[in-house]
Amino acid sequence: MRPRWIETLLALVVMFLFGCVSLDAHAQESDAVHGAQRFMEYCAGCHGADARGGDKAPPLVSPSNTTNLSESQLFRIVQDGTKGGMPPFAQIGDANIHAVVQFLIRLKNNGASENASVEAAITGDVEAGRSLYFGKAECSKCHLINGKGGFMARNLTSYARNRNADEILRAITTPDTPLVPSSQVVTVTTKVGRNLTGVLRNEDNFTLALQTNDGRYYLLARNDVTGVHYSGHSLMPRDYRTRLTPKELNDIVSFLIFASRNSRSDKVEGR
Amino acid sequence: MIRRAPTAAPTMTKLQAILVRSDSRILRGLTVVCLLTMCAGLAYAQTAKAEAYSAGTHATTSDDNNGLINVQQSDLLKKRVTDNWLSYNGDYTGARHSDLTQITPGNVSRLTAQWVFHPRTVSPLEVTPVVVAGIMFVTSANDAYALDAKTGKVLWHHVRAISQGLVDDPGQHHNRGVAILGTRIYMETDNAHLLCLDARSGHLIWDAPYATGNKNYGATSTPLIVKNSVVVGISGGDDGVRGFLAAFDAETGEEIWRFWTIPSPGEKGSESWPGDSYLHGGGTTWMPGTYDPELNMLYWGTGNPAPDYDGSVRPGDDLYTSSLLALDPDTGTLKWYFQFSPHDLYDYDAVQTPVIVNARFKGRPRKLIVTANRNGFIYVLDRADGKFLFAKSFMNTLNWSKGLDENGRPLLTGLIPDQNGVRVCPANGGATNWYSPSYDAAIHMFYFRSYEACAMIQANTKPFEQGRNYYASGIRAADEEGKGYINAFDLDTLDFAWRNLQIGRDKGWGGVMSTATGLVAYGDDAHNFVIADGRTGKPLWHFHVGQLIHASPMSYAVSGKQYFAIAAGSDVFSFALP
Repeated sequence: MRPRWIETLLALVVMFLFGCVSLDAHAQESDAVHGAQRFMEYCAGCHGADARGGDKAPPLVSPSNTTNLSESQLFRIVQDGTKGGMPPFAQIGDANIHAVVQFLIRLKNNGASENASVEAAITGDVEAGRSLYFGKAECSKCHLINGKGGFMARNLTSYARNRNADEILRAITTPDTPLVPSSQVVTVTTKVGRNLTGVLRNEDNFTLALQTNDGRYYLLARNDVTGVHYSGHSLMPRDYRTRLTPKELNDIVSFLIFASRNSRSDKVEGR
Repeated sequence: MIRRAPTAAPTMTKLQAILVRSDSRILRGLTVVCLLTMCAGLAYAQTAKAEAYSAGTHATTSDDNNGLINVQQSDLLKKRVTDNWLSYNGDYTGARHSDLTQITPGNVSRLTAQWVFHPRTVSPLEVTPVVVAGIMFVTSANDAYALDAKTGKVLWHHVRAISQGLVDDPGQHHNRGVAILGTRIYMETDNAHLLCLDARSGHLIWDAPYATGNKNYGATSTPLIVKNSVVVGISGGDDGVRGFLAAFDAETGEEIWRFWTIPSPGEKGSESWPGDSYLHGGGTTWMPGTYDPELNMLYWGTGNPAPDYDGSVRPGDDLYTSSLLALDPDTGTLKWYFQFSPHDLYDYDAVQTPVIVNARFKGRPRKLIVTANRNGFIYVLDRADGKFLFAKSFMNTLNWSKGLDENGRPLLTGLIPDQNGVRVCPANGGATNWYSPSYDAAIHMFYFRSYEACAMIQANTKPFEQGRNYYASGIRAADEEGKGYINAFDLDTLDFAWRNLQIGRDKGWGGVMSTATGLVAYGDDAHNFVIADGRTGKPLWHFHVGQLIHASPMSYAVSGKQYFAIAAGSDVFSFALP
């Protein structure tokens, strides 16, 4: 009993220290990891590991009331519980509650930290960026923005809403860090020797879902596949740092920030 | 209670009809098999076969188009519903009838669950899945998903938060699914936005909010594609909104026309709506309509007048509530209307599917609408001009009407809800409701779910208020328990071929569908998904889904394998032969 008790105490001390450290301004990433860990520890049992709800508790991501609650409201709910049956978690301490709340806010903001840069400065030429996006830089071949563009890569309409210019630039010049699993390009060899190259939208021990550039889904059984080559990359070109000038890159970043700021909100007055 | 068809002869004819159809299908199938055998050497066919990993023995189409989403007008206009299920009801007729033939009365007992999809958002789901080229589209609240129709695995997920502050039905975030055209899908949101998503990625292309000026507006239905427009209805009819139907350009999302179901001052019918009451008159359009491309007419049902139970503030017939509208789909102009329940006091929405039927009626081939109404009568109308042809009550205890006159207008018994309440049958929930009917054209059989129950309806004059419902009083369930039935109405005899009492503790809200092999599929009152013999009503197979079925079934095929799918509780289930 005693060693287990000491272990727990040590863990709590470490957690406390970690909690303090994570409040440092530069530690956004570890903050996120910390929040995710605390969520797994205290919340996932009822709300599901993916926060999409479980048998005992509702989802915390869309469609859910959570997505419209403020930071202080979320904090209060975690601390005091709800009339609906959620127990209070005041005992885990303010730092852990804070971490959980930050995690919930990141969920709401589609993975971006809340205060990253709501009002990121636009330092480039938005119109030039727009021309590059739809022209020479070929972003629109894959990326939709405000309803225009391709479908193979993520929708960038509100991408820049919660990201600062540096983050966006990094995502363009050093793509695939990290590689989103559902955007990885793979080549699958079927039993009849046919090679199919596309984006791996889903996979498990039994099936693979591949989407080729024409939008077509190939829904394959592992039994019918003899080989899968994982490229380790998405479709995103990896040469933008050399293909485009620093000014051009900055113009594109500016266009993205401008576009997300002016994208149509979900909420419209009077419905 | 099972009532058999009145004579043996017509039943035999129908049995023969089924056999004849099966034969021709088998012959066609044999031809396909022969051709495929001849071409077996072609690498292409081999590739296609290898990729069809769960290939059945019955190839309806090749796998050429699997995985490639691009729905053309010609696809939407097809007369037969086979591998793809392209809209809420399967096709424009609203018949919810599949021409797939792999699953038959002979083998249905071997049907097994293939997969379950759990969107983890709302319950109960009210969606009918749409399937194109092996990809299934479902919605749950404001979220949309593309699934591998063979496995139920997610290909993409469009996430959108539910809206806060909605009242009544939209506040429960029900959604009945998507419409599809080209490479785009269209869906409604709980707060009445029409969304256009790229069907290949789930990404939002445009977002058109389509109801303003009253916070009680919401949407729970699914759009209908007509030519290059997307037609949407509206919810909130128990909450004092003004109903309408609106069409949007499928490409741009620009509004093309809007038809208000409650006339404004000075228009025909406005005498029912003194002052600004027309702004709160209900008549919502919360289920998809049907479309006849040859007559170029769009048919759409409207809901109850508002307030629901207090008729004193809305004198007269309350046009165009509890009615069927026939509109020009290009302009939204009203061609004709038929009001099932003038001056409705009992919440008898008329949004049940107006099924397009071409059949001999009293010896003459006619273009008909057949619909079972919430007020307890099944109607047959001429769909060219809306002329009333026939109606019959399908409720034994119906008490609000003594029958209908020669124009189909109800002869009232004078039940006026007041503060003490009056006992009305059918209850406010209706003798049938939005759950789908089905029509098998080969045997002229119309299938639908009904419910026998009464309610004490109370009324009280109240002002309209945003943010609150506008029933103007409420309901006490009458003492006796309700009874659910699955019905087969024979259009040849204009009588019921059979009526099957549903035994169970939970009132079922599952719709009905039929297939070319004479099967009828539905959700029962005890959380079972059931497939029965359409000729007799005898259940041949069932599966306990363990949750209330609040949706209507559909059927599709991928790689030569036929499936049945239905949403139940918070899950979507799919079934096929092993």
